[in-house]
This record gives sequence, C-alpha cells and structure tokens, in this order.
Amino acid sequence: MFSLLIFVPLFIVMLINMPFGGIRKSAYILAFLLALAQIVFTLLAFFTPLSPLSSGRQDILGNFFNFRIGVDNLTLVLLFCIGLTLLVTLLTGREVVVDQRQRFNFVNLLVIAMAGLNGIVLAQDIFTMYVFLEIAAVASYILISFQKGILALEAAFKYLILSAAASVLMLSAIALLVLVSGDTSFAIISQALRDGSGGFPVKLALGLFVCGFAIKGGIIPFHGWLPDAYTEAPAPVSIFLAGIVTKTLGLYTLIRVVTVLFGQAAYISQILLVMGILSVVFGAWMALTQNDFKRMLAYSSISQVGYIILGLACGPGWGLAGAILHILNHTVFKSLLFVNSAAVETKTGTRNMDQLAGLSDRMPVTSFTSIIASLSAAGVPPLAGFWSKLLIIIGLWQAGFKLVAVIAVLASIITLGYLLSIQRRVFWGKLGSELLNVKEAKGGIMISAVLLAAIAIGVGLAFPFIPAAMLNSLSSLLGG
Amino acid sequence: MDSILLWPILVPLLGGLLVLAVPRSVRFWKESITLLATGVNLWLVCSLFDKNLYYFWSWLGFGNIEFSLRLYHFSSFIVIAAGAFAFLIGLYSLSFMKYRNYLRQFYAYLLWSLALANGAVLADNLIVLLFFLEALLITSFGFIAIGSKDSMKTAIKAFIIMGITDICLMTGAIIAGYLSGTLTMSNIHLTVSGLGGLAFILMMIGAIAKGGSMPFHSWIPDAAIDAPLPFMAYIPAALEKLLGIYLLARICLDLFQLQAGSWASITLMTIGAITILLAVMMALIQKDYKRLLSYHAISQVGYMILGVGTALPVGIIGGLFHMINHAMYKSCLFLTGGAVEKQTGTTDLSRLGGIGRKMPITFGAFIIAAMAISGVPPLNGFFSKELVYDGALKSGAIFYLAAVAGSFFTAASFLKLGHAAFLGKISEENKQVREASPVMLIPMIVIAAGCILFGVYNSLPLQHLIQPILSVKQLAGERFAGWPASSMLVVVTCVVLIGALINHYYGVKSEGSGLKAVDHIHYAPGLKGIYDRAEKRYFDPYDIGLKLAGYLSQITWGIDKAVDWIYETAAVSVSFFAGRKARELYKGYYASSLSWALLGFLVIALYLMVTLNG
Repeated sequence: MFSLLIFVPLFIVMLINMPFGGIRKSAYILAFLLALAQIVFTLLAFFTPLSPLSSGRQDILGNFFNFRIGVDNLTLVLLFCIGLTLLVTLLTGREVVVDQRQRFNFVNLLVIAMAGLNGIVLAQDIFTMYVFLEIAAVASYILISFQKGILALEAAFKYLILSAAASVLMLSAIALLVLVSGDTSFAIISQALRDGSGGFPVKLALGLFVCGFAIKGGIIPFHGWLPDAYTEAPAPVSIFLAGIVTKTLGLYTLIRVVTVLFGQAAYISQILLVMGILSVVFGAWMALTQNDFKRMLAYSSISQVGYIILGLACGPGWGLAGAILHILNHTVFKSLLFVNSAAVETKTGTRNMDQLAGLSDRMPVTSFTSIIASLSAAGVPPLAGFWSKLLIIIGLWQAGFKLVAVIAVLASIITLGYLLSIQRRVFWGKLGSELLNVKEAKGGIMISAVLLAAIAIGVGLAFPFIPAAMLNSLSSLLGG
Repeated sequence: MDSILLWPILVPLLGGLLVLAVPRSVRFWKESITLLATGVNLWLVCSLFDKNLYYFWSWLGFGNIEFSLRLYHFSSFIVIAAGAFAFLIGLYSLSFMKYRNYLRQFYAYLLWSLALANGAVLADNLIVLLFFLEALLITSFGFIAIGSKDSMKTAIKAFIIMGITDICLMTGAIIAGYLSGTLTMSNIHLTVSGLGGLAFILMMIGAIAKGGSMPFHSWIPDAAIDAPLPFMAYIPAALEKLLGIYLLARICLDLFQLQAGSWASITLMTIGAITILLAVMMALIQKDYKRLLSYHAISQVGYMILGVGTALPVGIIGGLFHMINHAMYKSCLFLTGGAVEKQTGTTDLSRLGGIGRKMPITFGAFIIAAMAISGVPPLNGFFSKELVYDGALKSGAIFYLAAVAGSFFTAASFLKLGHAAFLGKISEENKQVREASPVMLIPMIVIAAGCILFGVYNSLPLQHLIQPILSVKQLAGERFAGWPASSMLVVVTCVVLIGALINHYYGVKSEGSGLKAVDHIHYAPGLKGIYDRAEKRYFDPYDIGLKLAGYLSQITWGIDKAVDWIYETAAVSVSFFAGRKARELYKGYYASSLSWALLGFLVIALYLMVTLNG
C-alpha cells in the first residue's frame, strides 16, 4: 500500500500534464487532495499495529518495480510532516503565487518533490534512497527559482553547487559500501557492517555520508547555501524547504543511514555532538543580528536542526525520541513562522524588520500565531517544542554530555531572544504611517496559520497522553 | 466529648457578629449585646470551674491536627479571669466610648478578642493554639486602627512585631510537634536540649512577646497614645498578660521540663530582670498618664517572667500570682486614666493636678491600685512580689537586686504620677471637673476591691487557684499563702518603699512640683544622654529593624540592578558582538561556502582516521 505514496504523485504529475482541455485547471485541487490524503493515510497507519522494520513490509507494486520499501514509526512521522507541509505550502501558495501559469508549474514541482520525499522516507535500499533524494533536490532547485528573480536564481545556483558536492560525496560512499557488502539493500549492508571488522573503507564511507547529509541538512559548517535559499525562495517554497525538504534530505537520511545502518559508535556521537552544538550556538547568534524576517528564520532553522543533531548524538533513548519529535515540532512551528512571514510580506511588501512595527493591531491572527510559534520554538511549556527539547536535554544529560546539555538550555534563551525580537520589531510598538492601511491576510494563509498553531498547542497539551510505547518504538530504532 | 467547651468561644463570637449585623441606628443594641455576651460567658466559665472537660473534633483530617479543647484547673482559672475583665471593661466602655466613632467595630473586636482568647487558652493542640493566637493579632490591629486618624502606623507596628514573634512561636511549635510526634499539648513532654532547646527558645519568644516583654514591647507605649483606652486596659494589661504568661507557664511546666539553674532558666530570668529595670526606668520619666502606665505594663511582666523563669515552685507560684494581680491593678489604673481622660479631656500630666478632690472615688481606686503595684503590704502586689523575690534570691542575688531596684522605681514613679495628677494645685481649666459616671466607677471599685481581697485574704487565690496548677510533688508540701515566710525580705521591701517615699520628698522639695519629683534621676549625669536617645527611639528594636530593613532593601536593590545590568546590557552586547563576528565568517560567496564545507569534511575524515588507528 505504501508504494502508492510514491506512484500516485507520479501518476498525478503525468495526468495534469496531459494535453486535455480542463485538466490543467484542476491541478491545484488534485495536489491539495493528494496532500490531504497523505495526512489521513498516515494518521490511519499510526493507529494500526506495525510490524518491525527488520521484517520489511513489501507490497505488490514494490516487487513489480523491484525496489524495497519499509515502514516504521519514524517513517510515519516523516510522511505526516510531508503531507502537512505540502498542505500548508499549497494553501499559502494560493495567496502568493497568483499567476496561473506559475501556479501550475509550482504545483507540478511540488508534487514531483513530494514523490521524491516519500520515496526517500520509504526506501529500504541505499541507492533507491539516493535516486529519490536527487528527484526531490532537483525539484527544490527549480522551486526556489521558478519566479526567476535574480537573487533567487543565485540562491538556487548556490544550492545546486553545494548539492553537487554532496552528491559526489554520497555516491562515493555508496560505491564504498557496495564494495564492502556487495549489495545496496539496507538489510544486507547492515549485516555486512556487523560481520566485518569495519576498516578504512567503511569509515571513509561514513565520513562521506555524514558530510553529504550535513550539506543537504544545512548543518554548520556545511550550511552555506541555506540562508540564501530560504530567504530568496518564494514564500511558500520557503515553507516547503524549511518545513520538510532539508529535514528529509539531511536529517532523516542521517538517522536512517548513519545512526541506524552504521550503528551508533562513540566517534559518530562525538562528530554529531560537535556539529550539533556549533549549529545550535552559531545559528542562534547569527539569527540575532539579522534584519530580514526570513533570513532570521533561516538561521533559526540551522539552530533548531542543531538540536535535532544533538538528540541523535545521544543514541537510542530519550534523546533519539526527542530528536524525531523535534523534527515534527520544527516542521510545525517553523512552517508557521514562514507562513507568518509570508503574510507580512504579501500585505506590507517588505521583509525588512526595520521598516515594520506595530502590526499586531492590523494583523491580530498573524501576530498571535507567531507568538505561539516563537514560544514553541524556544521551548516554553506547555507548547509542543518544550517536550521535544526536554527529551533531547534529558537524553544529553543521561548520555553524560552534561556541558552540552547546559549549553543547549542556555542557547534556547538566545532562541527566545531573537524570536521575541521579531515580535517586538514586527508586531509590537507604534504602527508606522505607511502601514496604516495594512489588512490581515486572508484565505489560505490564515487557515494554515491557525491550523499549525492549533497543532503546536494541541501536541503540547496532549503530549503527556502519548503512550510511552510510541516513544519507546521511536527511541528503540537503533536497538535492532 | 464535652461540647459545652465550644460555648465560651461561640457565645462572644456570635455576639460580635450580631453587633456588626444590626444597623448603626438601633440604639443600645451593641451595648446590650456586649454586656449580655460577656455576662453569659462569665457565668458559663464560672460554672465550669475546676472541672476536667475535653472536646475533640477531627479538624483537617490529616496529620494530627485536630480541633481539641481541654479545660482543667489552670485553663479554667485563666478563662474566668479573662471573662471577668471582658465583662468589667465592657461595662466601663458603655460610658467611656460614648459619642465615639467605630463603636460597632469596637464592641465586635472586644467580643471577638474574648472568644479568641478563650479558644487559645482552652486549645489542646498546638495548631489550634496558633490559630487563635494569630487571629488575636487581627482584633488587636483593628482595635488600635480605630483609635484615631494617625493610629494606623502604630497598628502596623504592633502587627509586625507580634507577627514576627508569632512566626517564632509557630516554628517552635512545629519543631516541638516534630520531636514529640504529636501536636496534642497534653502529650508533649520534651527536655530543653539540642533541637528541643531551639524549640523552647522559639516558643518562649512567642510567649513573652505576647506578654509584652522587652525587646518586643515597643508598640505598647505607642498604642497607649493611639488606641482607645479600654483597649489598653483590656488587651495589653489583662488579656495578653494572661495569655502570654499562661503560655509561658505551659511551656515551662508541661511542654518542657524547665530545670532550675539550667541555661534556659537563666536566660528567662535575665530577660525578666532586664525588662523590669529598663521599662521602669522609662516609665519613671514619662509625662503622660497612659504612657507611664504602659511602660509599667512592660516592666511588670518582667516580674512574672523572672518568677516563672526561676523554675522553683515559689517563683512560679509568685509569677502566676503576679500575673493575675497585675491584670487587676493595671486594668484598674488604666481605667482611672480613662476616667481622668474622659472628665478632663487630657492625660498630659503637666495639664493635670489637684483633681483628686474633684474625683475622690477615682482617686481612691488609683491609690489602692498604685499601692498594689508598688508592693505595699497588705495589698495583693506585695504578696506576689515577695514570692517572686524569694524565688529570685534563691536563684541568684543579682536577680533579686534587679527586682528590688525595679520596685523602688515603680514606687517612685507612682508617687510622682499620683502627686502630679491628683494632688497639688488645680489648674483653671480643671476647676469644673466632676466625678466620672457610675458605669465607669463600678469596674474600678470592683477591681480595687479585688486587689484588697487578694491581698488580705491571699490564701483564697493562692490555695484555690494557683497552687493546684503545680502538682503535689512539685509543691513538696510547701505553703505559700499567708504572711511571707522570710521576714528579712519584708524588711528589705519596706526599707525600699520608705526610700522611694524619701526620694519623692527630696525631689518635690528640690524641684518644686510633683511632676518634677524624679527629675534629679532623669537629668542625672550619664542617664540624661541615654534618656534623650531612648525618647528619640534610638533603642526601639522595631525602628532599628526598620532601618536595617531599609539598608537591606538598598543592598538588594543594588544587587538587583547589577543582575539587570548583566541581563540587559552585558548579555545583550556580548550576544550581538558574537553574532556580528559569526556573520563576518560567512559572507555568502560560493567559494567560502564550499571551502567551509570541504574544511568540515577534512576535519571529519581526519578525526575518523585518528579513531581508526586508535
């Protein structure tokens, strides 16, 4: 069944590009229904018992096309995030991308990217994963620049260059793995890595993978492309990139390959810990001095991804569960903040926070939801972000990285600092005379903002009722 | 389960509510309710005299905090005394408080204070005791606050001082409850050592502060000026002495077994001796009728603490006897002060004088009470003081000397007071003064008669009220009633009293008026400077505490500013500096992005190679 998540998007892309008269016009609706269907499908799957990953759930279509897919709770979390982000992106895109031709391209690219993302998440084969990764990445380059702004083209090109480097690194690593194990399936590679003594090729492959995924995920010091891409992309694309693309391309792959496949060795933890703490601290510091709304959010993303990396560094246990939950929470609150920035940008025409002030009276819903998102990002109870950060910090403490845990807690003060500075500079204070006619954003932007804020609050309030079994199944991925 | 024990609490409580419930315009209502409630209460507690009753009601349902009341000999004696004073002062107030403001509040506080005092005395659980004592703070606060426009400050002062000492009492009670595993007072028997010693000290502070001992006294002289006068006769002179010394006696006799000669006993006696001397020295120089009396109210509690602190049967009996005697003559003195204030409109001694002839009954009551407080035989104060002297001399000559010196100054100051207020030349404005109304005179006469009765026939209170408080074993067959056992002490007392008389004549002769009779002491070299500073409140622990609190808050404000600076200036500028520096590392060029990524890869690869070899 799950292979449908890959094939239906591909089928829809083909369908809407058929030279029939009316089909183009229904592209948006079809994509919207697709996103909705994915959310419903994953929610249903959450409540049906799953067999463990190792047994691998295969289905007819998968056998027919001869690639292996599998599902576990981590996959479901990511699939849910993909569906949700896609929905929000489409809703926002309806308000922002007005031109019909552009909107059609936008929807096409989104659906292709969606197929790629679903493929990455479901793949049980290293090369399949790589192929889908490239599909999603190529769609993303074009998504950034499809409106052909000069800065957006530059940002997309920078992303392309660094991604090319990442591709080289990943392909080399895959080649090394095939050399060692003779196959590309996760199960066989894992077996081979466990049997063999490791040796130089394996470690080199590991290093190559870490760097490749880190480039995709925008982890310091591999983050060069990320601020430009997030800032210059059209508003809905920023949501899509920040909400799910970098998460899936960088973080999910890191979890699946580096920590699950290679097993959590102490030296991996060390590397992840250093990269994580660098991202957390420098991302936050650089966000602090930004004037551009979206650029601040971009650096904030780097910082939050750092927390996820720190959670991974803890290995199986609360830290890993926290990292996976933080992927979900980050999808929610960062998408929400980008939705808010889209609302502000479309209504005022600027992203420069020095030119904005006092919008809370004019845009009450945007202002309120951005406060929710900021507080969730800073980890203020009882919002969702609090719980995942708490789990990560507990995990760090239990794993013995106490200094890192303290730094991580202190960094969330900086997080709160820059996120509240958004509130102060954009939403509070005295309304400027040129902003007197600003009105609240409408339609899709409003719906997505309220929806995401509701999720941020709801997950936070409902967290204590999430069964421990679900958290355990998230955290025991590495137990094997 | 004798639920009749609830009535001494409920009757005045409901009476107070009734007083407040009925509109102001209904005449005689509050007065009649007050008299009725206090009268019923008095009849009730008298009918319960010398019974052993126990009431128990599981209160909060956790711990062993239950609402338990216990009536036995000691507590029944105290509630009778409290009830009698409440009734007499209620009667007195009918006339005194006429045409004043806040009358309904006044009577309600009067009744509620009685209810709470009854509750505190009957309580057999430390928490219940604390509950009633704390609630008594509220009525005291109200009493002082309705006195005059400016009395709020004094009310707050009293509230803070008593509140702090009640916290001590509370802490001590909790420690005592923790040590003994129960909060039921009749089951607590601790020794004064280690943590028990701490509990003893803390509870003792609460008890003696309730009694008005130094250094927790300084609100009383202020209240004497600000509060309505019946309050002074009722709360500091009578109820609080009864409660404080009752509590002290319970602490020393029941809760803890105070040993004669132990450090705790010495501490108590020292506090008592210092209180006697310092307060009486302050009383000596007062130029206001009520203020002078209020310092004596402090000074006299020193005798009680000294007596109980000896931990000898004779001292304890003396202290407790002094407690009831003091409540009588001090109330009587305050009531005479009230009569003078009511009839002349002032209590300033320099504006009084010669009114003894105009108010002969008031003057008579004053003479009896003043003789009693000075310890002139055969009045009640003489006998109780002799017992305290006896105990003090057995514990240490220094305490005896302090007590005797206190007696000398007490006598001197009352000679001065009587002379200045009632004798001498009458001033023009007091020519028309008349005797006070019978309603005010009756309580004075009754109490003064009580002073004589308890003196001449002292075996009545001693054998029937006070001696049974101590067990037969503790008494060891001693008898305390009748003429004092040691005639040497009597001789010394008489010599001291005659000395005070001579001193007075000397003072009057050299200074020319009764008011200035003690000026040769007031302006003696060395004493003058101390007196001046004391009058300016340099030694008031409350003012010193306020000043210290001021300094403390300035220091904490400074710390707060420093912390603010760290948050608001230092942290922000450090963060922004670091942020700018971090930005400089990354300018957005392709080459720099790529080289950072490659640098990262090299570092990771190197690290992996190092771990490979290692």
